[in-house]
Amino acid sequence: MDWEGQKLAEQLMQYFLLGSALLAFLTGYFTSSYRTMLYIYLAGVVLTFLVAVPNWPCYNRHKFTWLEPEYADKPSQRVIARQQAAGKKGTKSQAKR
Amino acid sequence: MYSWILRVNTVLTLSVTVLAALCAVASMTDGLHRPSPAVELKVLNVGPLERLRNGDDRIALTLSIKADLESVFTWNTKQLFVFVAAEYWSPEEGFNQISLWDTIIEKKENAKIDQQIKSKMLRKATRVGYFTYPFQGKDLRGRDFNLTMYWNVMPISGAFFTDKAVVPGFQLPISYN
Repeated sequence: MDWEGQKLAEQLMQYFLLGSALLAFLTGYFTSSYRTMLYIYLAGVVLTFLVAVPNWPCYNRHKFTWLEPEYADKPSQRVIARQQAAGKKGTKSQAKR
Repeated sequence: MYSWILRVNTVLTLSVTVLAALCAVASMTDGLHRPSPAVELKVLNVGPLERLRNGDDRIALTLSIKADLESVFTWNTKQLFVFVAAEYWSPEEGFNQISLWDTIIEKKENAKIDQQIKSKMLRKATRVGYFTYPFQGKDLRGRDFNLTMYWNVMPISGAFFTDKAVVPGFQLPISYN
């Protein structure tokens, strides 16, 4: 997921959970059934999982812009340091792992 | 939220927290509920007052217990524990309570009680070593007592509480046999 998608997924998760809690409470209270409240909330939680967890295409609309791989041609700092150490001390030095 | 595992974790945590809040709100709705129970307790027959050899007093009672506790049930009630007790005050000990009958009601449909039961009030003497306290055990003679029906309400979510209906004005025989 890209950044916008993650933000959207989190918002949808919160709205769906709070909304299903509210719906569950109202339904349960007006039918005088605690069990109904819990079932509706459970259904809402399952729905939230289906909406927010999988990597749906709507969460991938704002693609990441990766940098150009220009740094791959230069050796790393560690390699440079090792070459300098080998140049100063001659061939006796061992590469440190 | 960058991986599905993380999203599962977040949804799960939030859903459990919201569930806790939901149950708390559900239990708070009990505060709006006003029950109107109807209770009728009568003593139909009083048996002879027996004096047992170990110092206890005992008497058999036949009670008529009628109650309509349907209005005590809310959507958040799991069960009621109902018991009928004979209560009296004595100067030596203060408040005394003897349980005569009890039942558990789990559904609102079963909340009407209409029973005639035979029960015994047993007033046990307290023994310390070989001696009994002289005023205990022998103090049922001529007692004025109340019959009180208590119901303990156990909610599905929330705090347990108890309520009662008092019917005063009963008396035990003045002498043994």
